[in-house]
Amino acid sequence: MSIQWPLVFFTLFIGLGCGTFVSSVILTEWYGKAKQIRTISSILAIVSIGVGGMSSTLHLGHPERMFGALGHPTSGIFMESTMSFLLGLTIVVYLLALRRNASDATCKMIGTIGAVLAVGLAFVNGDAYVMASIPAWNTWILPVLYVASAAVMGCFSIDMLLVRSEDADITTLAKVNRVTLIALIIQAILIVAYLVHIAIAPYPDVTRSVTRVLAGNLAILFWGGMVLLGLVVPTALVTKFSRKNNAPLTSVKFGLVSVLVAGVAFRALMFLMGSSIKQFF
Amino acid sequence: MSQRTMVVDLDRCIGCKSCEVACKQENGVILGCTWNKVLTVGPTGTYPNIQMYYLPTMCQECKEAQCVKVCPTGASYKGEDGTVLIDKEKCIGCRYCMMACPYGVRTFNEETKVVEKCTLCTQLQAVGEQPACVKNCPAGCRFVGDIDDPNSEVAKVIQKAGNENVHVLPDVGNRPSARYILHSKTATWKE
Repeated sequence: MSIQWPLVFFTLFIGLGCGTFVSSVILTEWYGKAKQIRTISSILAIVSIGVGGMSSTLHLGHPERMFGALGHPTSGIFMESTMSFLLGLTIVVYLLALRRNASDATCKMIGTIGAVLAVGLAFVNGDAYVMASIPAWNTWILPVLYVASAAVMGCFSIDMLLVRSEDADITTLAKVNRVTLIALIIQAILIVAYLVHIAIAPYPDVTRSVTRVLAGNLAILFWGGMVLLGLVVPTALVTKFSRKNNAPLTSVKFGLVSVLVAGVAFRALMFLMGSSIKQFF
Repeated sequence: MSQRTMVVDLDRCIGCKSCEVACKQENGVILGCTWNKVLTVGPTGTYPNIQMYYLPTMCQECKEAQCVKVCPTGASYKGEDGTVLIDKEKCIGCRYCMMACPYGVRTFNEETKVVEKCTLCTQLQAVGEQPACVKNCPAGCRFVGDIDDPNSEVAKVIQKAGNENVHVLPDVGNRPSARYILHSKTATWKE
């Protein structure tokens, strides 16, 4: 299958938005740290989800008929659209609550509802591709990898917002760095698990083989994109931040761009391996 | 419960591709799109034991059609006779059905921005005619009918061929209803 760019950017920006919002809610509402980034992180999240949503419509031949999806609420596309809308709505309500100085309990409740929706949306993004017709996609690892990818992007996004704010304290930054490192380790484990799945998936074919990923024409996407930019560079940066007890804004921005490019590489690779059991036409 | 489908006798197929041309002509399938395609399987083996056969491919009219399940608008649906059809007025062109099809036998029309596929020429069957590929096959290798009706032509052809010579494409829970007849004296069926 060729790379479906609108869908690549749809899931990338949705992942960034979900990851940013969840990271922000956990840090600010659950742990009560860095409350100054609540508004800016929520705006970043909703803009990202909006951009993702608009990107998805570029994939459709007839987006004007989209309301026909209301008649088939179990489809993956309906679930993605509905959850994106509900998450966007929750973030708007959350921003209104912040604007009107609502109580901490209220903000925490709304934020938590949004965070649950965000995790669900990141999962559904990947789950929509799980189908028996495409062996390389037919695994629960894929939606979990989408969640992990969103988590890593969210951590770097929050890290950037923290470093940007003048009153960020070192302990909070250190905590975010630790969580980012854990998210990167989980992502690395999931990538290995995904490779194992590809190796043992039924109906083996050269188009979706591990050889093609590791040493074939997908190697540049895998080693350069997913491994170097998605794991090595961000891990090196986070380790450096932890050791030196600081995080220069330029380095954090570089880290965010790095994981975003890695996110594109992962999604592009997924589409390029998405061959059907039999691809007759 | 009826299930209209196609049975292809590969022992008879000569690979002339008349079915491809007839399909394009009858249904106005645009350049770059395909509803039905004849593939060459092989040659395999070593001389002098070489094998090869032609495999006409099209929608397999699955009983549990995944394309129907994933369609967000219900544009892909199963007709009363079991044929998988597309309501082009409802199709949003998301191509999700193309991903869900295990055989890649759906095609995206770049002009109308909707997905298309073999309809078993419902427009011809409605006036009592056979699909274009069936009536234009010079070898008479294509049959269409209700596979669940033991008195139908397709059921009789399958029964005559014998179970060991009747083949089906890989089933991942979609239960394809199309059948291929290939006797081992012609060639060995390749999964």
